[in-house]
Amino acid sequence: MKVTQSAKEKTKAKILEEAVNLIIEKGFKSASMREIAKNAGISNPTIYNYFPTKEKILYAYVEQKHKETAQILQEIEDFNTYTLREQLQTLIETELELYLEDREFIMQISDMVFQSGGLKLNALYDSNTLFRDMVADILSIAIEAEEIPNPPFEEHLPRLFWDYYIMVVAYWVKDDSEMFENTTQFIDHSLGVIEALLQSSILNRANDLGMFLFKTHFLSALERFSVKKSGFTKIKRKFGEVFNDK
Amino acid sequence: MTSNTGQKKIPTSRVSRGAVVGKAMLKIGITSGTGAVKRAFMSKENKELSKSETHAEIAKVIIDSLGTLKGISVKIAQQIALGLPFLPQEYLDEISKSFNSIPPINKALIRKIVKQELGDYPQNIFDTFDNKAFGAASLGQVHRATKEKKELAVKVQYPGISTSIDSDLSVIKFGLSRFAKGQDIDHLMDEVTKRLTEEVDYELEAQNTKYYEDNLNHELIVIPTIVEELSTKTVLSSTFLDGNSFKAFLNSNPSQEVRNHYAQLIFDSFFIGLYRLKMIHADPNPGNFIFMADNMLGMIDFGCVKRVDSEFLKGFSKLHVLLMDNASDEEVTEQYAELDMVDCGEMEEMLTFYRSAIKPLDRIYIEIFAQEKYDFKENNDFSERGFNTIMDVQKNQRHAVHKMNADYIFIDRTLLGYYNMFEKMEATIDTRFAQSLIRGEV
Repeated sequence: MKVTQSAKEKTKAKILEEAVNLIIEKGFKSASMREIAKNAGISNPTIYNYFPTKEKILYAYVEQKHKETAQILQEIEDFNTYTLREQLQTLIETELELYLEDREFIMQISDMVFQSGGLKLNALYDSNTLFRDMVADILSIAIEAEEIPNPPFEEHLPRLFWDYYIMVVAYWVKDDSEMFENTTQFIDHSLGVIEALLQSSILNRANDLGMFLFKTHFLSALERFSVKKSGFTKIKRKFGEVFNDK
Repeated sequence: MTSNTGQKKIPTSRVSRGAVVGKAMLKIGITSGTGAVKRAFMSKENKELSKSETHAEIAKVIIDSLGTLKGISVKIAQQIALGLPFLPQEYLDEISKSFNSIPPINKALIRKIVKQELGDYPQNIFDTFDNKAFGAASLGQVHRATKEKKELAVKVQYPGISTSIDSDLSVIKFGLSRFAKGQDIDHLMDEVTKRLTEEVDYELEAQNTKYYEDNLNHELIVIPTIVEELSTKTVLSSTFLDGNSFKAFLNSNPSQEVRNHYAQLIFDSFFIGLYRLKMIHADPNPGNFIFMADNMLGMIDFGCVKRVDSEFLKGFSKLHVLLMDNASDEEVTEQYAELDMVDCGEMEEMLTFYRSAIKPLDRIYIEIFAQEKYDFKENNDFSERGFNTIMDVQKNQRHAVHKMNADYIFIDRTLLGYYNMFEKMEATIDTRFAQSLIRGEV
């Protein structure tokens, strides 16, 4: 049977929806692929065409939310008049807002990541390309508009921001204040700090200091104490990657 | 993109807020202690100075920690300045400095709050929505919007404000108890707490506004109409009143006649509120009045209102009639005792208390009603005299504090705020209508 692309997308969305429902109901471990397939109205083998593992469903879910967020941000007419901080804040608030209906599901993922260790946080990085791209866009526009000075490690900032975002989600999951107002304030104020950091030259200065220490002391120290040459170059290459990125 | 940069992070959890509170208390303890040690070695005149220095230091410590707590505290500061006239000047100076620092709500937050409260993003709910606030009010900010060809003012509250009232107040209370010298200030703090809790509740404000709109019935006074379907506990939408602010009004160089007209409207509306609606607009901030076209006056922001009951009003009226008619000190004192502002006891004692603690004040307040008209241009030092007298009384009278009737203080402080506006307007008011209301003639 020939399946069109849009029909495929539809099935995928259906599987996601049913998976989230079942996982909320039964827990990630107890929700079986078989039952998810059944609830989504497809055969047991077919589901593996879409998602080879249950974890992949989680990643797809996260990716899906990023897509929806991107869509919503695009619909904001005057988004270009937002400040850097306002744009980042809207990004995060929108993601959380989309998570809200599946809050219990997010709580389970969060537990698996932070408590039981059943899920590696690193695995989630594969699904956050879109998120990082959005952040990278927002940042590069702010730099171009000279809203902030060119920060060091610009390429790494989106990933750092993702880490911050994970922290926000973890906070939100534990937040029991009315309407999650504590999370709202946490985001507001922490982004205030991030904004201040990006606007100041602290990052650049810290980088200068780091480079100075690295070149003058660290490298020579390494050369002196390093016995294994191969080990040393390995380390050097690793650092070089980071620093050359600048 | 400038205003938020220097903003300190506000402690969010209850624990850390408590920690800040604790820190403030610790600091006060230290400062006061230093003062006491210094004083032991000082001459009399130096003692006075040192006291005032310590006060200023304490005031600064308290306000500093309030700055960290932000938000609600600004309003508390205003409320205290309004409700506790016995506060030392240094205190009030520090407080007034903090008036304009309500945390800003940026575009991202506005979007979020509107979506959360009204169910959709501003762009989908309103035909137009101005992301930039045009005014700050009641622990939030006000945005202009249009919907179905109606011009709206949408007030949005900063999230989490209402939950922090209690812990913020405990700092203030601690600080104030130092000035009250061990006396009971609980009833005044209760009053402030009550006002604040009311003020953060926009649903209540909507009710008050509606009540005023339905009952004031004054052809020259406009009260905004609340749009109920666009209002919740933390978002309040109403019709937008177009006109001049107080400052813009004064800058437009209005004629004496126009100035008198507006002062009169404001003055009369206060007494109509007090006697007919039994609810006064208790925030005499000039920003709450809009000077509109065709001699109309707009009244906004009913977040801080004061309800009075008939019994208090009866006592209040009787007292004012006595004062207006130049009754003897004995009669007046008895009436004050009735209002719980003078302890019942031997007449001689009561009289001594009245003459030293209250009379200087009521002489000033009643000055307004001595004649049919009162010219604030001629008497442009009225509010200053009033304020200084309060300070003098406070200096001399250690026990004046606990017996102040909170209702009475609120009314007098609000009036003093209005009179301060009239001085700036250099207006003459006609007190006949107010007098007839007090005497129960109309």
